[in-house]
Amino acid sequence: MKFNQRLRIISLCLIMIFSVFGAVQAKDDVDIYAILKKIDTNTNFGEYDFSSVMTMVVEDLEKGIEKMVVHQFRRDREEKFLLLIQEPSVQKGQGYLLEGDNLWFYDPSSRQFAHNSLKESFQGSDVRNSDFTQWTYSSNYEVAGYEEGSLGGHKVYIVELEATSNSVTYPYIKLWITQTETPLVLMAEEYSLTKRLMRTSLFPKYATIGSFIIPQQMIFVDELVKGSKTQVILSELSISPIPDNVFTKAYIERVNR
Amino acid sequence: MVTVRIALRNIARQKKRSILLAGAIAFGMLVITVLNSFTAGMVENVRVNFSHALGGHIFISGKQLNDDGEVINQIHDEQQLSDLLLTYSDEIEGVTKRTQTIGTFIFGSKQGMQLIYGVDFQEETKLLDSLTVISGDLTKLDQENAIVIPAPLGQRLGIEAGEIILVKMETISGQQNVGEFIVAALIEDQASFGISAAYADKGYLNYLLGLMSDGYQLVNVFLKDVDRLDQVAEKFSHVLIGEPKGLEEQSAIFGIQFEAVEELAQPWEGVKYSILTLNDIMEPVEAVVTVIDAISLGIFLVLLLIIMVGITNTFRMVLIERVKEIGTMRAFGMQQNTVKAIFLLEALFLGLFGGLAGLVGASLVMVVLSFVSFSQVTGLQFFLNNGYLTFQVSVGTVCLTFAILAVMSLLAAYLPARAAARLSPIKALGSYH
Repeated sequence: MKFNQRLRIISLCLIMIFSVFGAVQAKDDVDIYAILKKIDTNTNFGEYDFSSVMTMVVEDLEKGIEKMVVHQFRRDREEKFLLLIQEPSVQKGQGYLLEGDNLWFYDPSSRQFAHNSLKESFQGSDVRNSDFTQWTYSSNYEVAGYEEGSLGGHKVYIVELEATSNSVTYPYIKLWITQTETPLVLMAEEYSLTKRLMRTSLFPKYATIGSFIIPQQMIFVDELVKGSKTQVILSELSISPIPDNVFTKAYIERVNR
Repeated sequence: MVTVRIALRNIARQKKRSILLAGAIAFGMLVITVLNSFTAGMVENVRVNFSHALGGHIFISGKQLNDDGEVINQIHDEQQLSDLLLTYSDEIEGVTKRTQTIGTFIFGSKQGMQLIYGVDFQEETKLLDSLTVISGDLTKLDQENAIVIPAPLGQRLGIEAGEIILVKMETISGQQNVGEFIVAALIEDQASFGISAAYADKGYLNYLLGLMSDGYQLVNVFLKDVDRLDQVAEKFSHVLIGEPKGLEEQSAIFGIQFEAVEELAQPWEGVKYSILTLNDIMEPVEAVVTVIDAISLGIFLVLLLIIMVGITNTFRMVLIERVKEIGTMRAFGMQQNTVKAIFLLEALFLGLFGGLAGLVGASLVMVVLSFVSFSQVTGLQFFLNNGYLTFQVSVGTVCLTFAILAVMSLLAAYLPARAAARLSPIKALGSYH
């Protein structure tokens, strides 16, 4: 082989290598962590309080369809929330009070508070108690990989996350995040420690309140139990201040008198 | 001695009457002996079957706090426990180490919660022997993800042996996890006694719970002498917990455990142990047995009362029949006390012969019943020994029953005996004419 031929082949190889490297560089330019941070910030009400009325429709092939109406009060800066069940009438008055690390469940029939966990499901639905808190993707997960794709006509980043903390419910999550200035999570797949898909969460509708953008419609599909899914729709959204006494055990007891 | 001979001769003189009286006493003895022996055998069988199902006589669980201050159910630093087991090695027959969790079993659109024990099937052969298989095969447990589930759960989910089932559970740190299990067998469970468990390979369950493959959460101890259970448990409790075994410590081992507020508020160092014994679990069973024993004692006493009335009436008739005979004996110089003794001895011998016959009859009944297999009868298996009834005859109880029989017979015959003794020889002989 002549010297010129060798030179051409080496040059070609170098061009190819640099092309691939360039492509990778271009991909790395997307700061997924910053996107996750933005998402987390969007769902954290910080100095504001947040309240809404959640209508939940729980579908189960065995139990049928159940409707629940829950009044939600959130104070993210103090890691507090209160969920008061309004419907169905048999569960009216039951409440969940989060105070930092402690989540309490109140049952008006026994008039007692029982300790509960954010990782447990809400009233046997496909929603976890942790779904009612702010998202913490950037602080509790690290990016294991991502790719570009599309979902429902939207260009998205498909991001794979691995938990960095045991405090989260799902060790692995895959997110479909819009490639927009205000990134929105359109879909999430949540996996078990054995990497089996456990739940698919869809967020087809978002609402803007103040400077915050939060999912207004959420659909949680249980991927293990056939035909089990829960739809949550938020209404009467407000970021008006909520009295301090709302986030107390005494308040739950009082509203049940 | 003459008195005894006369009493025995009197019994022999009226064979039919004596046989009927002794027969009635024998029936009472038979009922009480069979029932007492049955309940004693049942308690023993339940105790043995429970110990096999639960994997020991003393159950030690431990919990620790992780770096985030969360409660983790595991026994990680086991030096203190190992030293303790070594110290009491003379009292210990064997040790099993298990893992446990509450899992949600999912099959299609159906789901149900169930306690799962992670066990070493190779080591726990006693457990396998104690399980009553409804369907499937316990020899197919060599697969890593094989699971044995209670039949009621299987029926609720509509699953059969050989099918694959998903089990959702939380790791020890609370994360969600799902395992895929093959149902090796459906077994009879004893939910009414608080024992309803599925059994899976410990290594695979540990993997799903996020434990080391040789990790464990429960240390179960089999004792050589079960009668020493409470004493040994007390010593274990003193070393591991540092205080007498309390009820609040027991609730943590079986069933769903709720984290107490105090635990969150007051963190601790190292392993916090809880101890439960087989006797604690057996309390409801023994309460049932106490009730059965009381009922059988009541039946026995009623029977005995009826028999005693019969004996009293019979001896009144005997008195009338033997007036002339008593008069003659008294005329020949027999003392009042001797006459009374003859009557009382006669009643005593009837009672003892009846009791003895009842004991022989009870033995025959128990021998025959102990050869009848009840293995096909569902719901009874925890009361049986490999499908057969067991009878435990207590020498003490038999002696006590004999004593009761003797006293009651003497009491029943006392008034006629006293009347016979007080008979005037002149009046008695006068009845000749």
